[in-house]
Amino acid sequence: MRRSTAWRVFAGEYNDASAVVKGDGERVPSYVITPLGAKINRLFIVGVLTDVESLAENNELVRAHVSDPTGVFALYSGQFQPDVTKSLLEIEVPAFVAVVGKARTFEPEEGMVYVSVRPESVYEVNPDARDRWTLETCKSTLDRIEAVKEGLKLSQPNAYDLTKMGYSRDLAEGVVKAINFYRNMDVEKYVALVKEALNYLVPEKGGEELPKVDVKTEEENKESDDVDDTVLAIIKEIESEEGALWDDIVEKCMEAGLDRETVEESINSLMDKGLVYEPVLGTIKTT
Amino acid sequence: MVDDVSSYIDDIVSMIGEDAEVEREELEKEFRRFLEYGVPPDQAKRTLVKKFSNGKKVEFRKLSEVKPNESNVNLLCRVVTVNPKEVKVRGEPRKIFYGLLGDETGVIPFTSWSSSISLEKGDVVEISNAYTKEWQGVVQVNFGERTSVKKVEDDRLPEVSHEPKPCKIADLHTAFGEVDVTVKILDVSEKEVDVNGEKKKVYVGTLGDETGKAQFTAWHDFKLKKGDVVRVVGGYTRFWKGIPQLTFDDRANVEKVSKEVEVSYKPVPLHKLVERRGGLDVSVEGTVIEVREGSGFIERCPECKRLIQNGECKVHGKVKGVGDLRAKLVVDDGTAGIGVIVGRELTEQLIGKTFEECKRIASEEGGEAVLRLLRERLLTKRVALRGNALGDEFGTTLIARDAKVVDLDVRKEALELLQKMEGES
Ligand SMILES: [Zn+2]
Repeated sequence: MRRSTAWRVFAGEYNDASAVVKGDGERVPSYVITPLGAKINRLFIVGVLTDVESLAENNELVRAHVSDPTGVFALYSGQFQPDVTKSLLEIEVPAFVAVVGKARTFEPEEGMVYVSVRPESVYEVNPDARDRWTLETCKSTLDRIEAVKEGLKLSQPNAYDLTKMGYSRDLAEGVVKAINFYRNMDVEKYVALVKEALNYLVPEKGGEELPKVDVKTEEENKESDDVDDTVLAIIKEIESEEGALWDDIVEKCMEAGLDRETVEESINSLMDKGLVYEPVLGTIKTT
Repeated sequence: MVDDVSSYIDDIVSMIGEDAEVEREELEKEFRRFLEYGVPPDQAKRTLVKKFSNGKKVEFRKLSEVKPNESNVNLLCRVVTVNPKEVKVRGEPRKIFYGLLGDETGVIPFTSWSSSISLEKGDVVEISNAYTKEWQGVVQVNFGERTSVKKVEDDRLPEVSHEPKPCKIADLHTAFGEVDVTVKILDVSEKEVDVNGEKKKVYVGTLGDETGKAQFTAWHDFKLKKGDVVRVVGGYTRFWKGIPQLTFDDRANVEKVSKEVEVSYKPVPLHKLVERRGGLDVSVEGTVIEVREGSGFIERCPECKRLIQNGECKVHGKVKGVGDLRAKLVVDDGTAGIGVIVGRELTEQLIGKTFEECKRIASEEGGEAVLRLLRERLLTKRVALRGNALGDEFGTTLIARDAKVVDLDVRKEALELLQKMEGES
């Protein structure tokens, strides 16, 4: 079995993950799928080790936290990794550390998933290493955002078409899983996360002029959001178990003062957002 | 928007038959609805044919449009090659067939797992209920127990031409049969070999294009010279540990062309390298995420150069070891990871310490101290590497012949990225 990729993922994305692909048997690994489609068996983190706590006698279980500009990774190391456990206990916190580890999940009850990291190696590093990692992770995250957007454009998201666009097989498969698993995915949240991390790397930039966001566009966006809200409310009102007929929705919305074109545009936009889907051609249902 | 909707409707009507119980207007309305939803026209066509044909007529797919992981695939194609193979299925010996299928749009490999199917080279066949898989980026057709194959009249399909497939070096691993490449000869030398007791001259060397490099063996004197740009039509590729090797003989058409070919030294993303398993003289970039045990100051047996432990060689027993310096790294760019082996001189350059200095540290503070030094200098650094990459299903290892730490201006790059993002939103 080949060495699994060490993903670069911010804590802010990793901790949002709740999709798990369980490998059957020892040779097939398990994966955590993040909302942006990172298909993680192993990950590489550089951040600040903030605390290390022994949870069991003889240091049989140690918990530690590593923070990055977007959140905190939880690390659990046990008796089966005595060297790593020892390293963690010896490092004086706070300290910059580089960690290679395996993705782990804890599911206290059905549908509730907590992700953590089981470290395979931990080394103390300098602040430059953290900055390099943060930049690299910003780039990886942007790649995934792009891949998810491409995936959503496909009429039927599939890994084959995504790999043909140049994405790795793992990412392509992860993106398809993520699109199917995380309904109402908010990609913009992760764009904001990347910006936050980048700002962290250029703190002196504060006074510098950055291109202003076009205010009109924002208003337009807001307007179309209002329309979407109205249309969504109408669909919810008239839908049955099977959904609502396209023509009925248009009719109701026109009664509410919207023109046909706006309504059809809005239904498409709601589908893009994953708020509604089309179980049968011509029938719309909320998710 | 597709402007030739009516020609698609014509297709659909001809496939479902004139007597189908659906009006043309109805078809067109449904077809347009699909297009509005961004469904590609071919897919919309297939869906409507399926919906209205009531299974009366089977639609055959073109090989070029078949995708992996499809089931109920129907094909009308020619058997280009077919070979038997003995395999063990749950301990039982079983005869399967593999080979190539072709139509006017392309050639793809197939495997027949069914014992009831018989195929002959050159047959034109209707295949129903086949399924597809993917192997190393290539679609493969499989015949299972539910698959049926029917031999039909030869004239149902035009003769499949065995045109060599135009290829770039980086795509050779997905090519079957003969290839057609335009490449620059990077070096060439004459060698004499023994073929069935007969002396023969072969010309071996390396060639490349803008996507990568390959070794070649020419069994005929094409008067190739270093720097020539040639088009080779009708060569075959083999792989050794992921390294492509192009072989051609006097049946191939080799001609000099005046076109310029730039051989690439651009870094290859690691997932692509690992997918191809390896490559000849490739450039890559990635972050050092581990410096493995066994890196640093080591001692080798003077007889066999094997690593010795506690002054003992596995083969030669107690020996006086000869010191050496090396680094065994794991380099990962976030898309895949590879092993990297760095020899003495490059390791000296990478860590900024000479072999003698490392030897002194090892004798004064122990070998562990040199390993710590390597980790301190290399972990989390971005490195640019060049060398041959050898791989198999267990992973890929690059033997470095060039290695540098990449200088990154993090603040500048972050600011540029941020401005780009602000500009987009
Ligand atoms: Zn020896």
